Amino acid sequence: MAASKIKRILRLLAISAKMDLAWLLRDTKFALMGVLGDILANLSVVSGVYLIALRFGGIGGMSVDEVLFMMAFSTLTTGVFILFGSGNNIHISRIIGRGQLEHLFMQPLPLKTQLLTCGFTPFTGGCNFVMGCILLAVSAARLELHVTIWWLLALLFYLAVTMTIIIARAYLVSSAAFYAPVAAEEIAHTAIDGTWQLSTFPLSGMPLFIQLPLLVIFPEGLLAWFPSLCLLGRPPLNLTELYPLAYALVISLLAGFIFRKGLYYYVKKGSNRYVPYGFRR
Amino acid sequence: MVKYLRTAHMACLEKTNGGLFYLLPDILVKICTLIPLVFLWRVVMASGVKVGMSMNQMLSYTYAAALLADLLVVKTPATGWLSEGVLLKLYGRPMSTIGQLVMLTAGGWLPTLALFSLPMALISPLLGVRLMPASVWFIPSLVLCVSLGFAVDLLFACLSIKLRNMNWLVGRIQAAIVAVLSGTVIPISLLPLGLGEAMRYQPFASLGGAPLSVFVGSAAPQEVLPLQLMWNALLWPAALLIFKKSQEGMVSYGG
Repeated sequence: MAASKIKRILRLLAISAKMDLAWLLRDTKFALMGVLGDILANLSVVSGVYLIALRFGGIGGMSVDEVLFMMAFSTLTTGVFILFGSGNNIHISRIIGRGQLEHLFMQPLPLKTQLLTCGFTPFTGGCNFVMGCILLAVSAARLELHVTIWWLLALLFYLAVTMTIIIARAYLVSSAAFYAPVAAEEIAHTAIDGTWQLSTFPLSGMPLFIQLPLLVIFPEGLLAWFPSLCLLGRPPLNLTELYPLAYALVISLLAGFIFRKGLYYYVKKGSNRYVPYGFRR
Repeated sequence: MVKYLRTAHMACLEKTNGGLFYLLPDILVKICTLIPLVFLWRVVMASGVKVGMSMNQMLSYTYAAALLADLLVVKTPATGWLSEGVLLKLYGRPMSTIGQLVMLTAGGWLPTLALFSLPMALISPLLGVRLMPASVWFIPSLVLCVSLGFAVDLLFACLSIKLRNMNWLVGRIQAAIVAVLSGTVIPISLLPLGLGEAMRYQPFASLGGAPLSVFVGSAAPQEVLPLQLMWNALLWPAALLIFKKSQEGMVSYGG
């Protein structure tokens, strides 16, 4: 049963990849511009902090290379995000707010499976992932990190946890779009893209009243700073290395509960966003 | 003039149509980014590296950049006009298209200015930030920055027409380029590896970074304003000419 589910997910991922390749081959100029846009957007976010670190010889006790490592982790996260989330499947408030959940209801596939596989774009969405890998390798070499299989597994673990937090938070706030489709259509964008810059701030050296809210109330400190320091072997604030996992579990459970509630409401009320001549209301 | 003010009023109301409650996430994110950013600069400036700006100047620069973000880097609805029906509004009314774009944009700034910029300006002393312009030339510099921002945005809008409606992509590229080159995130003079001097004269440097430098007194107005005037004089005619030619190429098929 589980094997057939995995097989089906892989088949659907392959279909998404094929469609992505078709776009690249049939509309190469625009597909490449899309890739360029993704790269520039990420560079503009991470380069700011790195240039500051370079100019000032580090930030708050983190060396320039450690900041580079943190930016590499952030780029890698962005890469994974774009790789699997290019179909608004993580910016889920757009799908809900635009009344496009109905499109998914019509397919003979579970909603979860569709959302898991519909945003996979390995050909046009893989550049930031590759760039993140290169930056990580460069910074690891400069820091003379002892890279073992366990370290690589820890890297995968923190990437998975970071993605879980990003997705769970996006789904949590996107539940508002079930009730207010127009006003909350872009709330996932606010929660994800609006806070991206904040997640690249090295919190080292900042006062505790800034650090703690960004680890407890808002998860921005857990999206690059905390996991990077854990991977460098010194988890901040004497917290356990498993703290991000605990946070991910709590926010996932909360998001699952709230999202389901919203979905039941949507199934009863529906959405009517389109005007007869095609534009959205 | 009244009809343009009404247009701005409508744009302002449009932002609050869903209720003020739905503006709160955006405002919360802005506050949650600004406060750590102030402390980030405190940590960085405490390192003692000489960069030609004092800590107070740096904090004022960062804070003012956040409060005036919409004005320092102008983003009109133009890049989305083909996919989001803005086109219908603009060409369906007996008013200048660019005039409407300007007023729609300016009207859209008001809720953020009232709900974020004003309260944060009032509490700035609590964060140890001084928001007093070092020179009255800040005002003309800001006006020139906003004017240039509209010209630059219009050029990007023309690019979106040329690229067959890829407004999302154009908007993304525009935001990335402007964020790095305008000096709103990091003052251009602070860029390492000699980039600061090299990038001082490009047009984006006359956007946000220029009035902010005058605001904190890290640049002389007599150096900044002529550059801003020059870029306005060069880019506005270019934007108007390209826009005139691009209008015929508009294709819209709904959103």
